[in-house]
Amino acid sequence: MRVCHKYFLSTLFSLFVLPAYASNLSDWAYSPSWLALVHYQPTLTGYESTIGSENFYLSPCGKTNPLKELDATIALFQSNDDKTKCLFPARYLWLEKNNLINAPFPKCQEFEQFKQDLQPSGITLLFTDAYMNNSSSLFGHTLLRVDTARKGTQLLAHGINYGAWTNGYENSFLYAVYGLAGFYPGGFTVKPYYDIINTYNNIENRDIWEYNLNLSNEELDFFVAHIWEVGQTTTPYYFFTQNCSYMLMEVFDAVKPELNLAQGFPVQTIPLDTIKEVNKREGLVKSINYRPSRQRKIKYRMQQMSDEQYQAFLDAIQLNLQSTQALPEEQRADVLETAYQYIQYQYVAQDIALSEYRKKSFALLKARNQVKAGQKFNELQEGENPVYSHDSKQISLGLGTYNGEFFEELRLRPAYHSLIDRSFGFLPGAAINFLDMAFRHYDDKNNYVLQRLNILQLTSLSPIDEVFAAPSYQITVDILRQLNPSDEDNYYTFNAAVEGGGTYALNDNIWFYALTGVQGAYGGGLPHNQWLGLSLKPGLLVRFSEASLQLEAQKVWATSKIGSTLKWNITADYFLTRNWSLEAAFSYTQNYGKNVTETVFRLKRNF
Amino acid sequence: MKKIIFASLVLGAVALTAPAHAIDSTGCGLGSMAWRGQSGILPQVAAVTTNGTFGTQTFGITFGTSGCDPNGRVTGGTQKMVLAFLENNLEQFAMDAAAGQGETITTLAGIMNMDEKTVAEKTYQNFAVLFPNENVDAVDVTLKFYQIMKA
Repeated sequence: MRVCHKYFLSTLFSLFVLPAYASNLSDWAYSPSWLALVHYQPTLTGYESTIGSENFYLSPCGKTNPLKELDATIALFQSNDDKTKCLFPARYLWLEKNNLINAPFPKCQEFEQFKQDLQPSGITLLFTDAYMNNSSSLFGHTLLRVDTARKGTQLLAHGINYGAWTNGYENSFLYAVYGLAGFYPGGFTVKPYYDIINTYNNIENRDIWEYNLNLSNEELDFFVAHIWEVGQTTTPYYFFTQNCSYMLMEVFDAVKPELNLAQGFPVQTIPLDTIKEVNKREGLVKSINYRPSRQRKIKYRMQQMSDEQYQAFLDAIQLNLQSTQALPEEQRADVLETAYQYIQYQYVAQDIALSEYRKKSFALLKARNQVKAGQKFNELQEGENPVYSHDSKQISLGLGTYNGEFFEELRLRPAYHSLIDRSFGFLPGAAINFLDMAFRHYDDKNNYVLQRLNILQLTSLSPIDEVFAAPSYQITVDILRQLNPSDEDNYYTFNAAVEGGGTYALNDNIWFYALTGVQGAYGGGLPHNQWLGLSLKPGLLVRFSEASLQLEAQKVWATSKIGSTLKWNITADYFLTRNWSLEAAFSYTQNYGKNVTETVFRLKRNF
Repeated sequence: MKKIIFASLVLGAVALTAPAHAIDSTGCGLGSMAWRGQSGILPQVAAVTTNGTFGTQTFGITFGTSGCDPNGRVTGGTQKMVLAFLENNLEQFAMDAAAGQGETITTLAGIMNMDEKTVAEKTYQNFAVLFPNENVDAVDVTLKFYQIMKA
């Protein structure tokens, strides 16, 4: 049971000591800046702070009572409890700014050391793009960088990362359940920025976008002080809602309450959406910098190679340096440096062993050091800023025919991106569809039905070439309304498919792929309620900035005749704007010797 | 039907959320797992400052470090910072030293409070001294780097 006697004492105390302020203390307690600073969010009955740690609250009722917490905070800074004061430097700054306190802030050695190590000169919001090898990173990730005033580069700055402490549960099934239920504590960690770069750019091959914020010196001090405050706390981590990106929004609000960022994410917090919100706040983002992944850098350099250089590069990564030596001297440096980068890439991808890695790297560097002329290739400076990608939720209205019968369709997709959508700003070849649902009204039967619920579809197409070879895959879990060819009845099946294969890119715009794998279906309308099958799925994907086209055939050999199908799909999208597009889709399915033909035209809107 | 939807919702949610943004390897990079239990930063700093030659961070395993600051910060005096930086960026530094330019050289020049051009020139000319063979480690490189910069 919570007792709030501290509150009464401190109220009496502040009434006595601060009579002038006491009358409007309640105004202060419910001011946007105090609410944001203690991370209060409105509830049905009042307020509740997001932060989980009890020690974040000075009043026993602090989690839900902004006034009592303010009272207790004032009381703290009038007390001689310096140790506790040192945990709340931002609250002190807030009290001081609003003339609610006139006692000095104590000397706090640890906090001073923190500031001395960081030497803050600014704040940068970082966005790392999707990482298809880890399902938690499918939607990208956001973190903060406290820029440094140290001489040198921002490599010596610090990344502030909010994430879940999962100690040892990573591989259990409950991991995901715990994550949804908020079982894991979320907390902050600090790492040198060079460590962040190594992790994301060099190991996971993800681009980093840096959004440098426009903050006054006062706001910067307050930001760092607030990071110190929340850095000591933990909060239940919810994967969808109170996740890494959400917490950063609350931290921004604490520093600049007028931003009002956190309230924009009441249901789901997708990292990409949060950087878009930040970029929408006028004047908040000062400059943008792009740090491409190692893989992207290598590819960009390879594109700039002449045929001779490319051949020399292919030889060099096999430790045959003769063709490099045959090049004019001014062409060698680029080849050797790219080859060195590639060997590092290979080692991290575990394609080569440590001994081979060391031998090759050393030989390449030695050769590079003997070349006088510097690098000629341009470094990749520009990318597709994800801020200008299409928004993550989608709704579409469609009209079509199903074996000659007209229907109207409403489709909703809470997240996130499919291959046919406008690809600007997304990881090429990666798609995530979550809870994509289609409802239809069929005119002849005059019935309203759920046509399809695509619970989850993950797609990762990675083009294979002479130097990069990653498998492509697709995982699909959905519920489909099917037509039984023998009795013309409709029934639902629950389907799951896992497919893998390869992708060949003719160029950046035209990709061919082939996937094969296993499929299963379960449903009351099926003979024996289920079937299992093998599938083969070749496809063509054409994507330009204005339009896209996907052709796909799918052959399934199943244990039941009803599951054995041949299906053809053609989908074409024309992008009207960033968020509006027109779609035409045609599909033809052969099953049991009967056919289903479907044509749909859709107007799609992302929001 | 309802059962199917419910079961698949749960399944989908589970599949989608599997590993979280785990951050347990605090401040020490991904490789810290592989190096856990190795000597920490203090013995290595001692190695550098006393001209010892033992160390654990060899060329080739710089993602993650044995000698990270427990608080995950860039901290300490110049030598400690140079060592910590080289331990975490040895591959990139090797490249930059071989080429005589790059971000790590700019950074080291900053830490040493030296002119960037001088550092670039010296590392380029002394690449073979800094990296005499493929089995160098960060402590060796740090020691040599200091000798070269002071020369």
